[in-house]
Amino acid sequence: MENLLGMSSLFLQQLVNGLTLGGVYALIAVGYTMVYGVIELINFAHGEIYMLGAFLAYTMVTVFGIPFFAAIPLTIMICACFGILLDFIAYRPLRRAPRLAALITAIGMSIFLQNLALLIWGGQIRSYPRAVLPKAFFQNAFVVGDITMTWLQIFILAVTVVFMFILHLIIHRTQVGTAMRAISQDKVTSALMGISVNRVISFTFAIGSAMGAMAGILVGLYYNAIFPYMGYNAGIKAFAAAVLGGIGSVPGAMLGGGVLGIAEVFGAGYLASEYRDGISYAVMILVILFKPSGLIGKPILEKV
Amino acid sequence: MKTRMSDIPRKCLYLGILAFALLLPWLPLGGSSNYLLRILTTATLYMVLALGLNIVPGFNGLLDLGYVGFYGIGAYTAGLLTLHYNVSFWIIVPLAALNGAIWGILLGAPTLRLTGDYFAIVTFGFSELVVLVIRNELWLTRGPMGLPGIAPPSVFGHPLTQDWEYFYLIIFLLLIVLFVVTRLEDSRIGRAWYSIREDEIAAQCSGVNLIQYKVTAFAISAAIGGAGGAFYANWFKFIHPDMFKFWESILILCLIVFGGLGSIVGTMLGALALIPLTELLRVVLPQNLFSGRYLIYGVVLVLMMRLRPDGLLPFVRFQQNKARRAQKRLAPTGNGE
Repeated sequence: MENLLGMSSLFLQQLVNGLTLGGVYALIAVGYTMVYGVIELINFAHGEIYMLGAFLAYTMVTVFGIPFFAAIPLTIMICACFGILLDFIAYRPLRRAPRLAALITAIGMSIFLQNLALLIWGGQIRSYPRAVLPKAFFQNAFVVGDITMTWLQIFILAVTVVFMFILHLIIHRTQVGTAMRAISQDKVTSALMGISVNRVISFTFAIGSAMGAMAGILVGLYYNAIFPYMGYNAGIKAFAAAVLGGIGSVPGAMLGGGVLGIAEVFGAGYLASEYRDGISYAVMILVILFKPSGLIGKPILEKV
Repeated sequence: MKTRMSDIPRKCLYLGILAFALLLPWLPLGGSSNYLLRILTTATLYMVLALGLNIVPGFNGLLDLGYVGFYGIGAYTAGLLTLHYNVSFWIIVPLAALNGAIWGILLGAPTLRLTGDYFAIVTFGFSELVVLVIRNELWLTRGPMGLPGIAPPSVFGHPLTQDWEYFYLIIFLLLIVLFVVTRLEDSRIGRAWYSIREDEIAAQCSGVNLIQYKVTAFAISAAIGGAGGAFYANWFKFIHPDMFKFWESILILCLIVFGGLGSIVGTMLGALALIPLTELLRVVLPQNLFSGRYLIYGVVLVLMMRLRPDGLLPFVRFQQNKARRAQKRLAPTGNGE
């Protein structure tokens, strides 16, 4: 009985950790899925925006001495502009080019930004100095039996929920959100209805990048690690989450992120910790093979 | 026959280049000769690899981000066979190629049904999984300790030691691959590949079995990658999981994009231009910044797609089929708009 209790509390603890991680993945995944929805392109550089978010906040806090909670909105705004710039420089000129060209450009931008960060900030792992963070982050919010949850975890979950709610409002309650949904259905008809397609695409990049930057800050806090290659793994995992939920579908990205975060934590805890990163790749490959439309996505039809 | 006649001067040119390459080790270059030879061997190895990768994005128009996975599979096949069973290099290369092809078919058969984006991401995941398996299955691959002490290949009982011998060996491998690739390009298979690249649906309507041709392309590409890996293992005599990371795929992709996607000559010139540049950067850049060299490859990829999607070398485009270019002008492959 004792043993069973111990096991179930480990299980619940893992569930809490998995949900925290999954929330962050969902934040990144939304960026992939929204961009894919409007221009049908895997924006490989999205993971790098996430990494830049973590680094920009770090620089603001350490070099410029901006308080942490002021650095967050500043970083988000800068990264949103950065997303627009990315689209403008790299993707917009290739809207009518073959798919292959846009994909290669996306990979190229990703590599470029990653190594730019390496040149600017160096390769060593950094972390937000504890002095600038609220002390409460590292204290336990509550302890039930063996299960603990820090304020930081609660902060991450709360931010995730709030951001997702705002995103939901933007997509379903605003004019630009309606335009985004229209474009994802039919670009040409949307343009004929008077929607400025390019402007809406820019807006989509801005929103996605803002969410990605927030996720970067949160992961930097959670793992205490900011480094130039952080966007590489997280980006692919978030993409896996987006695929799992059904690419192009925002609720799908949230669901996929949650499922993948839990799967990763449980897989690492119970199966094989050295294959922690492999779990999300394997999930992604299996989903793509057997159910490419994802859990709640619409089936992919090839347009002629 | 008219085209055959006009081919003659070009064939002379190619033979001249080959003769020059074979003479290179004997030019009086003093102490730097061996260093130069090693760089050229690397460049030629990358030519082989790039020719292999070129089949998938160049001939078929599909982005393959997992090519390095097959390179790694080939290298570890060769390394393990040499270390444990002392198999001859001349048997290992076909076996490594075969192993690459088998994995290519296993991965390609289910995934090539998907659209290009999904294919790209699945191949990426595959190459990551290959590295994870190599790193973690210590009983097989010794993981992060790598495989040291791989025996050198031998020709008629004479083990290769000199740099020029390896240079000749890789030239020999390049000639074989070049023969295979050029013959494929001119064959029924090659024409089917081009039709898939230009318009999948039209190709299908004309009776091209998409899956069959795509899987063939992917398997041949993987086999060449495996053969390249086998050479690398026996040449470098030490392999390590970190040598087969995702960045290698990007580097090879960069070579073919630089020279011109789908162009055999361009692919080779791309390798000849960019690999020595990498070595130059290794000398010029300080140690800690050397890994930042990929910044340049990223810029190359973006700028090439933006400004010269047909490749940087203008004369390469002349050699491409005129009809193909005309067709491209007439039918821009839009995004389903």
